[in-house]
Amino acid sequence: MLRALYRSTPFRLVTLLSMAFLAFLGLAGFIAFGLIRAELDARLEQQLEQTFSIIGQSYGENDLSDLVDLVRSNAAANPALQRVFLLRSATGQILAGNITAGPGSTGWSVASADALGLAADKEMYRIYSGPVGNTTLLVGASLAETEAVGAIVLSSLGLAGVLFCVFVIIAGILIAARAQRRMDRIADTMAMIGRGELAARIPVHHNRDDLDDLSLQINQALERLGGLVESMRQVSVDIAHDLKTPLNRLSFTVQNAIEREETGQSVATLLQQAQDEARQINATFEALLRIAQIEAGARRSRFKAVAVAEILENLFEAYAEVAEENGQVLTIAVEPLPETGGDKDLLTQLFANLIENAIRHCSAGTTIAITAGRQGDQAFAVSVSDNGSGIPDAEWDKVFQRLYRLDKSRSTPGHGLGLSLVTAIAELHGATIALSDNSPGLCVRVIFPHARAIPNLHDQRVASNALHVEPKRKLHE
Amino acid sequence: MRILFVEDDARTADYVNQGFAQAGHVADVIRDGRDALVHGMNERFDVMVIDRMLPGLDGLSLVKALRASGNTTPVLFLTAVGGVDDRVDGLEAGGDDYLVKPFAFSELMARLNALARRPPARTEKIKLQVADLEIDLLRHSCRRGSVVIDLLPREFALLNYLMQNESRVLTRTMMLAQVWDFHFDPQTSVVETHISRLRSKIDKPFDRPLIHTIRNTGYSLHA
Repeated sequence: MLRALYRSTPFRLVTLLSMAFLAFLGLAGFIAFGLIRAELDARLEQQLEQTFSIIGQSYGENDLSDLVDLVRSNAAANPALQRVFLLRSATGQILAGNITAGPGSTGWSVASADALGLAADKEMYRIYSGPVGNTTLLVGASLAETEAVGAIVLSSLGLAGVLFCVFVIIAGILIAARAQRRMDRIADTMAMIGRGELAARIPVHHNRDDLDDLSLQINQALERLGGLVESMRQVSVDIAHDLKTPLNRLSFTVQNAIEREETGQSVATLLQQAQDEARQINATFEALLRIAQIEAGARRSRFKAVAVAEILENLFEAYAEVAEENGQVLTIAVEPLPETGGDKDLLTQLFANLIENAIRHCSAGTTIAITAGRQGDQAFAVSVSDNGSGIPDAEWDKVFQRLYRLDKSRSTPGHGLGLSLVTAIAELHGATIALSDNSPGLCVRVIFPHARAIPNLHDQRVASNALHVEPKRKLHE
Repeated sequence: MRILFVEDDARTADYVNQGFAQAGHVADVIRDGRDALVHGMNERFDVMVIDRMLPGLDGLSLVKALRASGNTTPVLFLTAVGGVDDRVDGLEAGGDDYLVKPFAFSELMARLNALARRPPARTEKIKLQVADLEIDLLRHSCRRGSVVIDLLPREFALLNYLMQNESRVLTRTMMLAQVWDFHFDPQTSVVETHISRLRSKIDKPFDRPLIHTIRNTGYSLHA
């Protein structure tokens, strides 16, 4: 319990704060005590001076009787010895007073009760002595009162300190316990998440304090995490589902081949079918792994300055005739574009996928247009649009989902991962993808941000210069 | 052709080794990266096929070590599916080509032929000729017999690649990488379309075709 209390941050803070406060209280008390003492001493001295001068004035020329009487009456008025008086002749003979001894010197001094010939008492006296005529008058006052006042000041400060400490410890325990309860709830929630209960959330009080902010942020992070896990799970289910179909077909084909083999028929066609099926399954797997790797973002470390316009021209050359063969027309209109940081191979694949999608899903007679233009100062956009049949608005979000295929395209070859790959590559490059109605047809726009907005580009260039990385070697030279 | 084949999976190794034997090649099959290093340093091979993932010493380190010891034998890397950076990593380590698993044996053989027969120091030829087909690399011109043939830049690049590798089988992926710099598998018939265009210009008008389709594998240009 004590250990837990000591480890609690709020309790530590409260303790630290109260210790600091107590130190200041002590210092302030010490100063106040000093000031009060000085003031009381000054007043006492003033009173003693007054008494001395009043008694002194009663001295007449060669007439000691008034003086002696006055000292006697003063002494008699102070049986408790708060004030002491002593009148001595020039020879040291005591003429009057309520004490029997005193310091021989004149002026201010401090003497113990002992030195004044009083009973063994610890009291201290402030003494003023001086000549009156040819006698010496001594007046003094007990310092007990001053010390008592000091003691009262000190003890009241001490009491305040003790009360404060008690209050602080109780408050600290309460605050710590309250904070601890909330932190325990956070810890409990995290433990539940750790056990796989992803729906668990930290209760939030809406006090808008820091713990609430933290809780809200953790909850939001958990929300996103939950979404990711759910989508991963969905993807796994989709993959399993989508691969089961071709695996089934493969199994049937092989089964069929075995049966035909037994009856001595040729199985070459079936084996070819089986191989195509296996190839398709492999392509799906490879696309999935590529997407996963691209999403992991490791490739960003290989970013170099890339001329997107050049990539588009290259793709146009590659696909113009493919489109023509399909009865379609591919056009290109590219403005001069700023260089962007990126991976040339992946960007080529991104645009190739968009162009191939248009070629594969549009009917003959369609015009497919590649256009690119600046958007403001440094940003630019590339779009691949067609005037074909397009896709319904409701399907726009879904086409980017992994393995999603429009019903009408189920019969055409493809693994439904092309646009997921496009999205993954675009995200790697900080680019966004927007679909719009080309009325008729579909327009897919890839919007690239300001080149400087792409992280690491500059650093990477410096790093690769420093390492003297050789230019890429071409294959099959 | 003498081949060093480093592959730890027994079934793959057996299958590929049978293929090598049928094609009349001799392959030393090694399972472990460290053994392969000893073998590769002490004996001469025409070409080496090295899996990236190996026990003992991984493929990349193996090739780096071989290259550091002065070995210049062409190396083809076999990589697992989806290795986005494998090609670049392999080339930087000193590899000459790469092939993604699972692969067709014909693809592997086509690539090994291209690697092994690569002339040690490439002499830059200005003119290439196969039968009566001739291209001028400086003027980018093409002629068959006495007929001058007009080619688009990409058609010229494709023909150049085929002629540089006369009589060798070139696969679709080899052509895509070399002619278009595409390192992915297109879903449309890019290569077929361009080959068909090229044929209509250099083969169709003449009686003897030079571009030959190798079924399930690719194309080859020879007389």
